[in-house]
Amino acid sequence: MALDQAKPTSRYLEAWGIGKSFKGTRVMSDLNFRVDRGELVSLLGPSGCGKSTLLRIIAGLLEGDEGSVVLGGRNITRFPAHKRNVSVVFQNYALFPHLTVAENVAFGLRARGVAKRATGAPVAEALSLVRMSEFADRPTAALSGGQQQRVAVARALVVGPDLLLLDEPFSALDRKLRETMQVELKSLLLDRGITAIFVTHDQEEAMGVSDRIAVMNAGRIEQFADPSTLYARPATPFVMDFVGLSTRIVGTVTSRDGEVITAETPFGLLKARSAAPAGARVLLGVRPELIEVGAGENTISSTLADVMVLGAKTVLHGTAEGEDRVLCELSGIRSGFARGQEITLGWKIEDTLAYEVPA
Amino acid sequence: MSGRIDRVALLAVPGLAYLAVIYALPLLMLLAKSIQTAEGISFSEYRAFFADDYNIRVLLRTLRVAALTTLLALIFAYPTAFVMSRAKGPWLTVFLVAMVLPMSLGVVVKAFAWSILFRANGFINSSLQWIGLTEKPVRMLFTETALVVGAANVFLPFMVLPIYAVVRQMDRALPEAAASLGAGPFFRFFNVTLPLTLPGVVAGSAFTFSMAISMYVIPSLIVGERQQTLSMLIARSFLYLRNEPLGSTISAVLLGIAIFVVVFSSWLARRLGARS
Repeated sequence: MALDQAKPTSRYLEAWGIGKSFKGTRVMSDLNFRVDRGELVSLLGPSGCGKSTLLRIIAGLLEGDEGSVVLGGRNITRFPAHKRNVSVVFQNYALFPHLTVAENVAFGLRARGVAKRATGAPVAEALSLVRMSEFADRPTAALSGGQQQRVAVARALVVGPDLLLLDEPFSALDRKLRETMQVELKSLLLDRGITAIFVTHDQEEAMGVSDRIAVMNAGRIEQFADPSTLYARPATPFVMDFVGLSTRIVGTVTSRDGEVITAETPFGLLKARSAAPAGARVLLGVRPELIEVGAGENTISSTLADVMVLGAKTVLHGTAEGEDRVLCELSGIRSGFARGQEITLGWKIEDTLAYEVPA
Repeated sequence: MSGRIDRVALLAVPGLAYLAVIYALPLLMLLAKSIQTAEGISFSEYRAFFADDYNIRVLLRTLRVAALTTLLALIFAYPTAFVMSRAKGPWLTVFLVAMVLPMSLGVVVKAFAWSILFRANGFINSSLQWIGLTEKPVRMLFTETALVVGAANVFLPFMVLPIYAVVRQMDRALPEAAASLGAGPFFRFFNVTLPLTLPGVVAGSAFTFSMAISMYVIPSLIVGERQQTLSMLIARSFLYLRNEPLGSTISAVLLGIAIFVVVFSSWLARRLGARS
């Protein structure tokens, strides 16, 4: 099930046996989650999957019904949020509207009893780190989304947190700015060796910023792995669907030869590596960029339903019988394809993902 | 674009006309009486009013009662507004009805109900004697304390509702952000929650204070003639003494205080608002 790739090095953050109910509805039970020191980890999943609940339990903003949270060897399960030394960057940044940029950044230091005079230097350093020095005396309402996020990050980091939690930090930014901020923030966190957990529903963002991603669904972690493993070897159909696009083909295993099964599908006979026994229902998946035009170990004939030239890639939508569709992405601009054209598509056996599914 | 009339602005005409005829005009006519004397326009009435120690005592009592009433209402209203801001569905309705319904009951009914509570053989005194806290009934009716307690109750909704409106708008993530930055409950309250809800406190206090300095029915019923307030002096001047210049002079003093409160509080609210 959960394909945990954690090396047995320093288990810095450990949340184990976490359970939570809201008004009698169980949203999470016996969840285990571990992060190493200095790691950037994402909690990825659709809304309502429990990722924000887990984040809030780690932050101490929400109390779990069961389980423990251990951070750097300290059991902080019963600690209130303000005693955990865990900083949170909120989705809307939650800057204090009655304070200036510098006063916002100084807030955590002041709360820790640092005298007002002594906050000047660390605040100036934190603001220069996020390139917001010239905004120090501005009110926060006058800032753009990206600037507000920078201030929120500076405010969270200036206190030297043991752990940084970021709740959908990029979702309020437009696409271009989002990508810039991701790169900026990632290098900032890596340079300073900050251990951070991002919560996001955006798989590209998760893959871009994190060392490892925990894909969550219905209050459980479906898979916790590095981005390439997650993409190339998704542990469950849910992970395959949530991380990246894929063609899905349902079939029945007719025979097996060692580790390789042959399945009867609407597109004909297809082969894959799987432990599924003969007679079992299987879901086969292929990533669109692994499909080539022409023959392969697995081959299907298809009618082109749509051709989209997107510049960096050309996307082919093929239909077979009925509702089943096949998605093929070719790099660059490709010509010579037209709607209604009959083409042959092929891919390798080892690129075929296979999951046994209930009949 | 000169000569073009903003049609929406025309909607204000009936209201303005009504206010001008029914509110501003009679008020100005009344105030004019305070400076019209036999020798022409003079401020002699004002000099006479402020020269009289009794009047000064009444003025100070009025201000003190209004300030204490405002403070007491604030103490009860502030936490209530937070509870209300969290209430949902039917509970919110219950709160709002509980706020608004007593207003329709009228002060007279309330005041008589209190007199049952506060009087020598009333509920509170019987209870105090029964627990053994006092041997003789404590005098509560006809005291300033009873007046403040009663007035705070009447004006409570005017304090709660503005604070509730501000609290409801406050981003819930702000106290959470403060907590995650290491701020304990006290630091959070005094550095985040209180400053952000202060505009509501200012508005509610301005409402309550301006109503409390001009209240007439509540003091008449609870403390009676023994401890006059400005409004009671005004009523006495017009109704019993038939001294219109005196009545309008006191009215002008009261109006002056009210104008000061309104101007000061809106200045304060703007100053607080400018920061947020």
